[in-house]
Amino acid sequence: MKKFFIVCISITLMSVFAAGCSSDSESSSGKDVLKIWSFTDELEKYGAVEKFEEEHGIEVELTIVPIADYPTKLRPALESGVGAPDVFTGEVAFIKQWTERDYWENLSAEPYNVDEWEDDYVPYVFDLGKDPEGNVKALSWQTTPGGIFYRRSIANEVLGTDDPEQVGEMFSTWEGLFEAGEKLKQAGYRLFADEGAIRWFARGVDSQPWVNENDELIMTDAKVSYFEQAKILRENDYTAFAPEWSPSWFASMDGPIAYNGGWEDVNEESKDKTEVFAYPLPTWGLHSVLKENAEATVGDWGLATGPNPYFWGGTWLGVYKDSKKKDLAFEFVKMMTHDEEFLTNWANETGDVLSFLPVTDKIQDTVSEDFLSGQNNYKFFLEQAKAIDANAVTKYDQEIDTLLGTHVQEYVDGKKSKEEAVQDFYKAVKNAYPNIKTP
Amino acid sequence: MKNINYKGYYFIAPFFIVFLIFNVYPVFLTFYYTFTQYEGYGKPTFIGLDNYARIITDTYFLEAFMNTWKIWGFNFILQLGIALLLAALFSDLRFRIKGLGFFRAVFYLPNLITVSSVALLFGIMLDWQYGSINQLLLNIGIISEPIHWLNQPFTAQLSVSLILTWMWFGFTFIVIMAGVSGISKDYYEAALMDGANSRQTFTKITMPLLKPILLYVLITSLIGGLQLFELPMLMSKNGLGEPEGSLNTMVLYLYNQAFRYNNYGYAATIAYALFLITVIFSAVTFKSMYRDAKVMKNRGE
Repeated sequence: MKKFFIVCISITLMSVFAAGCSSDSESSSGKDVLKIWSFTDELEKYGAVEKFEEEHGIEVELTIVPIADYPTKLRPALESGVGAPDVFTGEVAFIKQWTERDYWENLSAEPYNVDEWEDDYVPYVFDLGKDPEGNVKALSWQTTPGGIFYRRSIANEVLGTDDPEQVGEMFSTWEGLFEAGEKLKQAGYRLFADEGAIRWFARGVDSQPWVNENDELIMTDAKVSYFEQAKILRENDYTAFAPEWSPSWFASMDGPIAYNGGWEDVNEESKDKTEVFAYPLPTWGLHSVLKENAEATVGDWGLATGPNPYFWGGTWLGVYKDSKKKDLAFEFVKMMTHDEEFLTNWANETGDVLSFLPVTDKIQDTVSEDFLSGQNNYKFFLEQAKAIDANAVTKYDQEIDTLLGTHVQEYVDGKKSKEEAVQDFYKAVKNAYPNIKTP
Repeated sequence: MKNINYKGYYFIAPFFIVFLIFNVYPVFLTFYYTFTQYEGYGKPTFIGLDNYARIITDTYFLEAFMNTWKIWGFNFILQLGIALLLAALFSDLRFRIKGLGFFRAVFYLPNLITVSSVALLFGIMLDWQYGSINQLLLNIGIISEPIHWLNQPFTAQLSVSLILTWMWFGFTFIVIMAGVSGISKDYYEAALMDGANSRQTFTKITMPLLKPILLYVLITSLIGGLQLFELPMLMSKNGLGEPEGSLNTMVLYLYNQAFRYNNYGYAATIAYALFLITVIFSAVTFKSMYRDAKVMKNRGE
């Protein structure tokens, strides 16, 4: 009896430890549960989850993990299958890595056959969701190309025009950009907030991937000249020392900021306040950045092209390959990416530039954005999206871009010569990815 | 032998099972990974001693090793100095400072704040353009132009060192005060009567009797210092140990190799190198502690 009692206690203790591992697929209300993991609250924000719950009589369990921890948290779940979601989103930073792996269900196969949908999407968005064999693993509802947002009143005053076409013409070459920068400086303005702003144009028109199929690092002339271009911006004082995402950066969108941090007592020259003329930002930058921070300047903005087309960000989603509710999971993916009625509402509600062409064709001609003084940003971005090549995107981009930016900064700060900075950049890439052959 | 009751093992089993699964198993698994190239998914590829060959010649690791020593070393000297000075003040019979409990709590407070909050706080204070530290120094007239604290290797390391000092001197102070209160008041009274001054009392009585405590502080601080990670990561711009790799500590390097670049095999090797380094330095310190303890015993006899 005593022994039995002891064994019982041991089992109880053990089961306490084991309890953490069990999972239930039914909620307390007895409804089916669809588990979704994402790094943004977008899905929840605009009623998508609610709508899906109502339509299918199920419960959606949305887990939002901050982007910095997202891959680290998600990967063990996907690898082991324990506590894995049925649907999960991927950001452009890891999309290439994840499509290569066996994480997302192959949507090109039966019964999904999403290859038939190819013509319904902006090409680069659809292509980025493919694995190396060309099978679609994830889809996206949005497209995120960028442009340069600029202040119309300043353009009128300094450049003599606020027409997006003509401003875009001036910005189409580096010479044009710097010329505008000089004129703006003379008039007391600054071209960009800081040197980091031009990183999207670092790859140039001839957009080559960072790493080719032989694992060689490709350092194009455009990338090398990025060092010089950043230095020109710094040395000629074309920027306002307001780094991206800093309080001064946000403040600069709504009026003059203290140039050089406002050290009036220190530096007589920096007493003046200055205004930033332009910000390279993508589609979402309009709604999430500019509109959030501009009040006095509403309606004073224009949108023009830069030296080359680029895109920044983007969210894809797909079905987990070992999900037990693949049909339901796919229904959700379908609603988010291929449901005309839903996406029309979504576009009207959020202002998101969609990648789903049947809807964009319908609405793109009627868009007139008050914030941009009536300019049609929708049409502009869709036009830009056409020029983006998904083949230039590799799984290394995020980290190599960061390393490049760090080394360009060291050169701009005058800590290293250009040659040293470039060599150190190669060394850092080699250290991060020993398989990559550097020049 | 017959009367041994084995049933007790059932009760201690849960601990050992958890310990085996979550502590022992990963240690051996990590050791296996040091011989592999592993991206964190799929199967690890066996590559023999390549990772070890790499770490011996890795200048980044050497740099991280040196950075860790510089940051920890300066912080430790300063921290110990402040703690000893305070201990001397509070233990001096002549001063009779009141409110030891209160000061102990105040000095310890920085240690209660989470590291991420500390990093955020100092990140704002050390800001080159808007930071209050630059503003203060400028207004007093100590500097004539703002210092870019976190953009120059020397000042960045100095900043992190000073923050660590600020966070930990209270802890060291408490431990040392505990040691001081263990020293009999008789010695101090005798010294006072013999006309010893404060300095003599401190160097001839407090210090020698505090040695074991100081070595304890050294070992715990060393082990913690070699694992320095959060603060450098949060204070550097992209978490890569900027500026110019000066905040790249060994554990930060390990973290970036594993979770940023997916070189799990090499990261495991760094972990083992770190383990080895910790063992060596702890052993050296421990040995001197042991020797010292023996001396104490003899003196007692």
